[in-house]
Amino acid sequence: MYNNILGVFILVIKVDNLTKRYGNLIALDHFNLEVNQGEIFGLLGPNGSGKTTAINCILSLLKYDKGTVEIFNKPMAPDAYDIKKDIGLVMQNVAIFDELTVYENVDYFCGLYIKDRNHRRELVEQAIDFVSIGYYKDFYPKKLSGGLLRRLNIACGIAHQPKLIILDEPTVAVDPQSRSNILEGIQRLNKAGATILYTSHYMEEVEQICTRIAIMDKGRIIATGTKEQLKAMISSGEKIRVELFDMDDNILQDLKKLPHIVSVEYEDNFLIVKSSRGKNNLLAVLDYLKSNNIAFGKIYSEPPTLNDVFLEITGKELRD
Amino acid sequence: MFLHNYIYRLKCIVRDRELMFWTLFFPIILATFFNLAYANLSEAEKFAPINIAVVDNKEYQKNAPFQRVLKSLSTTSDDKDEEGIFNIRYTTKEEGDKLLNDKEIEGYIYCDNGIKLVIKESGLNQTILKNFIDEFKQTSSTVETIMEHNPESMHSGLLDRIGHRTNFLKEVAPSKSSPDTVVNYFYTLIAMACMYGGFWGLKEVTAIQPNLSPQGARINVAPIHRFKVVIVCILAAISVQLFEIILLLAYLTLVLKISVGNQIGYIILTCIVGTITGVTYGAFISSIIKEEGLKIGALIGSSMTMSFLAGMMYDKMKYIISTRAPILGYVNPVNLITDCFYSLYYYDTNSRFFTNIVILCVFIAIFSLCTYLVLRRQRYASL
Ligand SMILES: Nc1ncnc2c1ncn2[C@@H]1O[C@H](COP(=O)(O)OP(=O)(O)OP(=O)(O)O)[C@@H](O)[C@H]1O
Ligand SMILES: [Mg+2]
Repeated sequence: MYNNILGVFILVIKVDNLTKRYGNLIALDHFNLEVNQGEIFGLLGPNGSGKTTAINCILSLLKYDKGTVEIFNKPMAPDAYDIKKDIGLVMQNVAIFDELTVYENVDYFCGLYIKDRNHRRELVEQAIDFVSIGYYKDFYPKKLSGGLLRRLNIACGIAHQPKLIILDEPTVAVDPQSRSNILEGIQRLNKAGATILYTSHYMEEVEQICTRIAIMDKGRIIATGTKEQLKAMISSGEKIRVELFDMDDNILQDLKKLPHIVSVEYEDNFLIVKSSRGKNNLLAVLDYLKSNNIAFGKIYSEPPTLNDVFLEITGKELRD
Repeated sequence: MFLHNYIYRLKCIVRDRELMFWTLFFPIILATFFNLAYANLSEAEKFAPINIAVVDNKEYQKNAPFQRVLKSLSTTSDDKDEEGIFNIRYTTKEEGDKLLNDKEIEGYIYCDNGIKLVIKESGLNQTILKNFIDEFKQTSSTVETIMEHNPESMHSGLLDRIGHRTNFLKEVAPSKSSPDTVVNYFYTLIAMACMYGGFWGLKEVTAIQPNLSPQGARINVAPIHRFKVVIVCILAAISVQLFEIILLLAYLTLVLKISVGNQIGYIILTCIVGTITGVTYGAFISSIIKEEGLKIGALIGSSMTMSFLAGMMYDKMKYIISTRAPILGYVNPVNLITDCFYSLYYYDTNSRFFTNIVILCVFIAIFSLCTYLVLRRQRYASL
């Protein structure tokens, strides 16, 4: 989002050429990132691509070999307390104390930011309501399910109402109900004014909530943009699947000759046709089938996904 | 901010059931077992005069002060107020060896270029003998120095006054309280419990170090100086541990009736210094070892070894260390804490007590400094 009056973007995070090695392994390789105020910025990458490492470097927890990090237009450092006070972190690992109750945990971490007790009490209550764990306020973490723990983890990171919230895979190993609760919560935080940096290896989540997305692999950003921009970068468009019971090579050959068609395969009674950009590819396929009197069953048409983007750039699937 | 942190750290510590067991209930249970096991031992070791021999040679005959001191401590002494400590026979060296072999005596004194002690076994009686001779040597060298530099003062009764220092012997063991090996087991136990305070130091450092726990990472992204948090955490650990040690002490003295003497102030001081030593030791271990299991292993292993060397399982250990490798006694915090209690109980003078306290403080300084140097790092190579 941009500042409406001036019509310019306000940078919240600016990372330049960040390089981080673990011994011989290059975890971040000239990593660049710019997050604007008001965005929900998604960092999408497979396991081990360096998302957590990037966040820990941005927050000055990790040493890095090269590069600069600026937050709120100021250089980030371990003792940059005026920057730190406006950041909220939700880590990939649940970071809470087992000996404290749900309420006490949120209060403890919030207390590192907010000194005024009355104000803090309000904030803590709000954060607990926000992730809907009010019922469990006096529970010890041992008694909470994985999904509830994740929600508590989030409450601990956001209670002090930071301007910038960084969430590292907050939905890993979470039940669908908690997941939608979390995703919806992130959007609400954003509406309330927070800039969000969100990492995930689930493309659906990122597509669902992020206003801008960077795809990363092996420590590098390989593409950045809105999901539409990203999908426009690649040559493959929609994927059409048609249930077919009789199949011969002629059909395959003929279909391949149609305009915009990139590949045609037949698998498990399904004809899979991948097309490049261009509209009405589905109609063209169906026309061909009808005019040749070929009987077909169910039809599916899928728009390209971020997985297709990832596949096309890296040559491998985002997952697994 | 201080209070906020302190109170929450206290909660985290007190609610940690496992560590509460090891730091509080385990020593109490152990004390109870010691009490059952040693209930009769104490009776059996009630003080009896120590049988010794003195080789009656020329050098001994020349050493009049030593003769005088020995005589005053002998069971045949004229001084009827005091019970003698030593049952002395005057023999030749050969007879002495034979008596020692036949276990008729605990040891014999042999003057040959100085006063020498010959013993075969080690135990409390031998410790007393050795202490006596060491103390005498020290005192007489003081006398010699004075004689060289200020001979006149000898006439003004100084010798008498210095001679009085040998009275310490009556304090070393018998007269003040009977030499009760059993109490030493309990003193070692308190010292071990102090070192178990290391568990808290370990827990606290782990909780705030980003490379040791995710909670630590969370604390480190907050706008607060890490050292402020560290200090509060360590203070919370010390508070709880000190409370536990006082409870243990109360249990020992009030329930088990183990005497620790009556110098309450110094006893509390020992507890405080011992507790801080333990907690900072744990913090030190936690900051230099990264792996969780290894940390706990190192802490338990080292404090057990220290306790063993201080005589917790085997009472003669203390004597063996003090004769064969005295340095080991000085670099062993458990031994130093034990010895604080021991010297408060057995000695009238407090110099030995304060030496121990000072050495413990040096340990605290070293542990704290090392922890500081490790924690000072702001960014980590890996989390
Ligand atoms: N402490 C470490 N020491 C050595 N290598 C590490 C360390 N931490 C991470 N790595 C390596 O660095 C790379 C990036 O790891 P990172 O945890 O940043 O990935 P990620 O994108 O967060 O993955 P995930 O989705 O699994 O959380 C991986 O290859 C990982 O094996
Ligand atoms: Mg990660």
